[in-house]
Amino acid sequence: MTITKQKTTKRLVSVLAAALALFAFTERAEAQQILLTGPLAGAPAVRKLRLHRKARFEVAPAVSFSLLDEYQRTIFAGARLNYHFTDWLALGAWGAFGAAHIPTHLSEQIQDVNAARRAAPGTSRDEELTAGNLGPDFKKQLASMDWVVAPQLTAVPFRGKLALFQSIYLDTDLYFFGGAAFVGLTERKNCETCVNSFDMASRVAIAPTFGLGFSFYINKWSAIGFEYRGMPFAWNTGGFDTAGGGKDKKFPDNKITNDDRQFNFNQVLTLSWNVYLPFQYKVSE
Amino acid sequence: MKSSPIGLLVAVALGIFPAQSWAQAKAGKATVAGKATATKDSEGVIDADASGSATAGGDAAAEAPAAGDTPAEGEETGESPTGSGLDDICKIDPAACPNLDMDKEAARPLKEQIFAVQQAYALRVRRFELQAGWSQSLNDQFVGHPAPNLALNYYITNVLAIGVNGQYYSPFNLDKDFNAQVRRAARVAVPLTEYQWGAALNFTYVPAYGKFAGFGDFIFHYDAYVVGGVGAMSVRPIAVIDPDNRNFEYQTKLAFNAGIGLRIFFNKWFAAVLEVRDYVFNDKLESLTASKIPGTGPNGAGNPNTWYGDTSLTNNVQAQLGAAIFIPFSFDYRLPK
Repeated sequence: MTITKQKTTKRLVSVLAAALALFAFTERAEAQQILLTGPLAGAPAVRKLRLHRKARFEVAPAVSFSLLDEYQRTIFAGARLNYHFTDWLALGAWGAFGAAHIPTHLSEQIQDVNAARRAAPGTSRDEELTAGNLGPDFKKQLASMDWVVAPQLTAVPFRGKLALFQSIYLDTDLYFFGGAAFVGLTERKNCETCVNSFDMASRVAIAPTFGLGFSFYINKWSAIGFEYRGMPFAWNTGGFDTAGGGKDKKFPDNKITNDDRQFNFNQVLTLSWNVYLPFQYKVSE
Repeated sequence: MKSSPIGLLVAVALGIFPAQSWAQAKAGKATVAGKATATKDSEGVIDADASGSATAGGDAAAEAPAAGDTPAEGEETGESPTGSGLDDICKIDPAACPNLDMDKEAARPLKEQIFAVQQAYALRVRRFELQAGWSQSLNDQFVGHPAPNLALNYYITNVLAIGVNGQYYSPFNLDKDFNAQVRRAARVAVPLTEYQWGAALNFTYVPAYGKFAGFGDFIFHYDAYVVGGVGAMSVRPIAVIDPDNRNFEYQTKLAFNAGIGLRIFFNKWFAAVLEVRDYVFNDKLESLTASKIPGTGPNGAGNPNTWYGDTSLTNNVQAQLGAAIFIPFSFDYRLPK
C-alpha cells in the first residue's frame, strides 16, 4: 500500500469517526427537554381550570345497595363527608346505617321448608338434623350490617368532561379511595349448646375498605356520584354451624363459634348527591 | 495528523447541514431559521428544540420551526411586514395596499363558531369493532359463570352499530362451597344451573363521549354505550336433588340482553372495554322432588320427564373486561380540524 493510499484511508477513517461522534452527540441533544420560550414559557397545561374540589368541603347524602348477598340484602342511608385539601386529595369518611334489610329468595325458600317441617306432625329426620341451625323463623337469625363508619383517603387522579347526546356537557372526575371500615353487625350469638338457642349479638367488625367512583358535576356546587365499594370481612351471614370441627375445622361441631364466620367480599354500590361548600369553586390561572 | 482538521471540518459541515434542513419548514423562512439557530446556539434552546423535534418524526419536522423559531421570527420578521414588504405592495399596486385600522379590527367581536367537541378523537362510523374479553357473573351467588367473550360490531353511523357476540361458559362453571354448606346446614337444596354458551345479535348506541386528564399529565378519551339484543343460551340444571339418576342435557333457550359499557381509547383503533350486561332467559329448573320409582317408566326416577320442575325467568348479569380493536385502523374526518 502506498503512503498516499494510507493517508487517504486515515483521512476517511478520521472523517467517519468525527462524523459519527457528532451525530451521536446530536442524538443526545435531541433527548433534551424542550424549553419553550415566548408566551407559552412556564404556562400551565390548562388555563381557567374549574377546581371543583380544592379547599372545599363535600357533603354527600347517599343511598347504598349491597351486592351478591347470600341471605339478606341491605340498603344503607348515609352520607360521605370529605375535605379536599387539593383538587386531587381529600380526607373524610363515609357513614351509613342499614335502613332496610331484605331477605333473598334463598332465605324465603329455606324458611318455607323450615315452616313446613315444623308444622308437620312429629319430628322429621330433617328437623332433627337442623335443630341447631334453623330456629322458628330463619329470617330472624340472619346477620345484618347495622351501620358503617369508614374514615378514608380519596385521590382524584382523573378529571375530564362528558358529552351526553352531544347536547349535555358535564365536568366529571374518577376517584379512588381507601381506608378502614368499622361495621356494626348483628349476628347469631356464639353458643355451646345451640338447639333452641337463636339469640343474636352485636359486634363491630373492622375491615379494609376501598373502591372507586365517578362524580358528574351538574352545577358549581353539586354533583351526582356513583361509587363502588368493597369491604371484605368474615361473618356468619346465615347463623349456621358450618365449621369448627373435624380436620382443619371445616366441618360442623354443633356449636356456633367464630370459626363459623365465612369470609365474604362484601360489595356496595352507592348513589349520592354531592354538595360542595363553599358554593363557589376556584378557577386556576 | 494533518488529516484531522479536515475530517473535523467535514464532520462539522455534515452536522450543520442536516440541522439547517430540519429546521426548514417554509421556504420563505429559511434565512430567518438559519439565523435563529446561529444566534441561539449558545443558549442551547432553539437548536435543541428544532433538531430534537425534527428527528422525532416526519410530522414533527414541519412543526419544529413553529415552536423553536418563534422568538427569532419575532426579531427578524417583525419589521418586514410593516416595512419594506407592505410598502413594496403599495408601490406596485396601490389598490391592493392593505388599508385596515388595526385597533378597530381588534375591537371587533369575534363570532367564530366553536364546537363543544371540536373533533371526536376516534370516529366509529363505517368501522368494524372486534372485542375480546373475559366476563364474570355478578348476580349468581351459587354458581360462578366466568367466560371468554368475543364480539364483532359494525358501526352504521358514528353512534349506532349492529353486531354479534358470544360467550363460552362450559368449562368454567363453578359450583361454590356455599351450596354444599346450605344443603348440609338447612337440608334445603337450591336448584342450580350451568351454562354452555351464549350468542346474540345486538344493537349498540353510543350516547356519551368524553375525555379525562390523568394526573394533569396525559389525556385519554372514552365513550359510554348502551347495548341490547336477542339471541340464545345453552343451559342445563346441575343435578343436586337426585344426582344418582339425573343427567341433564344442554338445552338452547331464547335470551334477551341489555347492558351498558365504557370504552377507554388508548389510540384511535385500540381501546379497553368494561361492560355490564344482563342476559335474560326462561330457565327450566331441576325438580325439587325425586321419584322413588326405579327405572325409566312414565314416573320412574330415570325418566327425564320427571327431572324438571318449575321454570324461572333468570337474569345472568355479566361484567366484562376486555379490549376492542377498530378496523380499519385509520379514518378520515369529514371536516378539517
